[in-house]
Amino acid sequence: MSKPDESRRAFLVGAVAGAAAGAGAVATAALVSEAPPAAAETGVDPLAFGARQGAFLNAADSETVAALAERIMPGAPGMPGAKEAGVLNYIDLALAGAYTDLQEFYRHGLAALETHCRKTYSESFAKLTPAQQDETIRTLEEGKAESFTWPAPRVFFDTLRTHTMEGMFADPVYGGNKDFSGWNLVGFPGVQLIFTPAELESRQAFTRSPVAGLQSKAKTRST
Amino acid sequence: MATERTDVVIVGVGAAGAILAAELAKAGMRVTALERGPRHVQADFKAMDELRFFQRQDTRPNVKRQPVTWRPNANARATPLRVLNYGNQAGGGTVHYGAVSWRFHEDDFRARSQTVERYGAKVVPEDSSLADWPLSYSELEPYYDKAEYDLGVSGKAGNLNGSIIEGGNPFEAPRKREFPLPPLRSDQSGILFEQAARNIGYKPFASPHAIISRDYKGRAACTYCGFCQGFGCYNGAKSSTLVTHLPEADATGNFKLITLAMVYRVNSDNSGRATGISYYGPDGSDNTIEADVVILAPFVFDNTRLLLLSKTAKFPNGLANSSGQVGKHFMAHVAARVYAAFDDRYVNNYMGPNAQKHSFDEFNGDNFDHKDVGFIRGSNIAVATAGLEGGPIASALGLVPPPGTPTWGAAYRDFFAKYFARHLVLLSETENLPYADHTIDLDPDVKDAWGLPAPRVTYDWHRPNEVKQVAFMQEKLDELGRAMGATHVWRAPLGAGQPGPHPQGGTRMGSTPRNSVVNKYSQSWDVPNLFVVGSSTNPSMSGFNPTLTIQALAYYTADAIANRYRKSPGPLA
Repeated sequence: MSKPDESRRAFLVGAVAGAAAGAGAVATAALVSEAPPAAAETGVDPLAFGARQGAFLNAADSETVAALAERIMPGAPGMPGAKEAGVLNYIDLALAGAYTDLQEFYRHGLAALETHCRKTYSESFAKLTPAQQDETIRTLEEGKAESFTWPAPRVFFDTLRTHTMEGMFADPVYGGNKDFSGWNLVGFPGVQLIFTPAELESRQAFTRSPVAGLQSKAKTRST
Repeated sequence: MATERTDVVIVGVGAAGAILAAELAKAGMRVTALERGPRHVQADFKAMDELRFFQRQDTRPNVKRQPVTWRPNANARATPLRVLNYGNQAGGGTVHYGAVSWRFHEDDFRARSQTVERYGAKVVPEDSSLADWPLSYSELEPYYDKAEYDLGVSGKAGNLNGSIIEGGNPFEAPRKREFPLPPLRSDQSGILFEQAARNIGYKPFASPHAIISRDYKGRAACTYCGFCQGFGCYNGAKSSTLVTHLPEADATGNFKLITLAMVYRVNSDNSGRATGISYYGPDGSDNTIEADVVILAPFVFDNTRLLLLSKTAKFPNGLANSSGQVGKHFMAHVAARVYAAFDDRYVNNYMGPNAQKHSFDEFNGDNFDHKDVGFIRGSNIAVATAGLEGGPIASALGLVPPPGTPTWGAAYRDFFAKYFARHLVLLSETENLPYADHTIDLDPDVKDAWGLPAPRVTYDWHRPNEVKQVAFMQEKLDELGRAMGATHVWRAPLGAGQPGPHPQGGTRMGSTPRNSVVNKYSQSWDVPNLFVVGSSTNPSMSGFNPTLTIQALAYYTADAIANRYRKSPGPLA
């Protein structure tokens, strides 16, 4: 399992680096995957996520975003949530790529959230109990978190929700929807080039796996 | 700074511009067209990518580079609209549209007369500028026919030369022959809609689409992949002008397309003639094209904006605006939605073409008696998807959970996991009346990426006639959802006042230069070698999607230019 994941990550990082440099993502991805992994030499993978630094988000902000996304789309047995789908990875890569113009929006929003949580609970969002986290999100949703100036708390919530849904359900090439977990959650078969008359008229769940798409192309490119 | 000379210059090659380009080039005129976006090839759409094409709106204008601002009234401050649903490439909106291809009803062309004759003048709201069109359905019928056959429209006739045909729309205007292609297949949502509507007593039918149901003119038939509205078509079955008309124009040898070109001005001289256009190239260069005939065919907002930006000492209120009508009578559909979700079956509504899959027409136009309903005009009613399409991102953002279910957390997850593949959406798109104070003008504060003032829309659909229309249609949608046997039926929240789908108006056509911008040939009354085409010319809007009418009118204009204007340049009406 770990090998394809690493190569996919290499492709994604390559794509982001390529976009940033204005160069072709494919060529850059090839360079990244052929280069000796820096992690092996230094023991530090600068581009891994989770507790360490990401493509844009720092460690503390990564924890906050991961926790927010997981409360918006929580996982349960048999029901993959934001963590399992890799929504943090999606948002991190998006903020370093297509959504660079939202970097300040996130920085300010996350700082205001930290202030709010410290003031209310004397603790960071990621350290709160699930019930406290939900209470905090409701405060954002209702526009009542006073520590927010820009972005407005409701706008910050709406954006987080939208990006969480993107990370759950976009093609995995963008870094979320890991192993089609989001699509599996709702029963979406991804790219199907053809639906037959019988399939169009069926009252049953459609269960065929995605047959083609960016995901399969990315795997081809990075191996 | 480059200057070129040609016979005809066309601004924008979308639904209308590409047809004019092909027709005039075929007639032997040298045509140069300018397009703000790129020219894609079919292979560009093989990445069936909901994030890129639906959510991030690739193929539609970037709202930061090309803002359109909106305010509900003249006292409010305008802010940029967050999504723009028109096209931004060769082929224009026909690249990503849902391809619903209606002919307007006969009474759509004479909405004022029909209303007054049937109900008296009092029922037309006093502040509405509702007006008849300067041409009739029968004048346009041959051009509808040509558009359907050239594009490849799939559907079933409901009225052949006055005979009502089972299975089609019995309320459609009489057509001379069948559609060139049979209707697209129904999916589960279409089947549910068909059964429920029949049980209530309506006459439902498969909506006509410019998507080929069989191989046609060298193009392969639709495969029902579902990556349709919001996307370019991966196999070219969607009859966008990118795949139908631009190749035809290319083949003439008389056609040149300049992409990534931002036209900022129509040039005119002191004799009152248009001399050509000026545009910024992708490198920032400032260029001019001189032409005998200038045709403006961008989206609605830019027709008004270009005319206002092109003012001169001779035309101090904007080009072609001696009537003072430029920018007035802006309209858009008001989309009301009702969701229906099923515990006993899957619907798999992400399959197949997404837009208005199946319809009935009992409450459109003047198809029903308005005597006791308190409003005039109506709406098509159809089954559709929660967003432009039915994928999981569009549905997560467009399927608003029923009252009592939150939009996030475990309860939302359970709701969405259960109903994503078990819901459908019932849709009405009510016909806005025109009002003179619903306008497009130049925003005094917001500029686009070229430093030009953004188009500013002043509009609020909450007029008494429209509010009553929407409430009436919502009840019909509720009734339909219940008749389907859905476990849950609930209403989507209505938008604030901002314009919904299918913006129209701003350069209305009419029968006299006093009260309109163009004549029935979309020719400027003031500047006879200037044509302003597209749904900006619609004096009223119908409860049907406008694209096929835009295209029929483009053929009508092309015919008039090639066969009459060219021989004798001057006013055509």
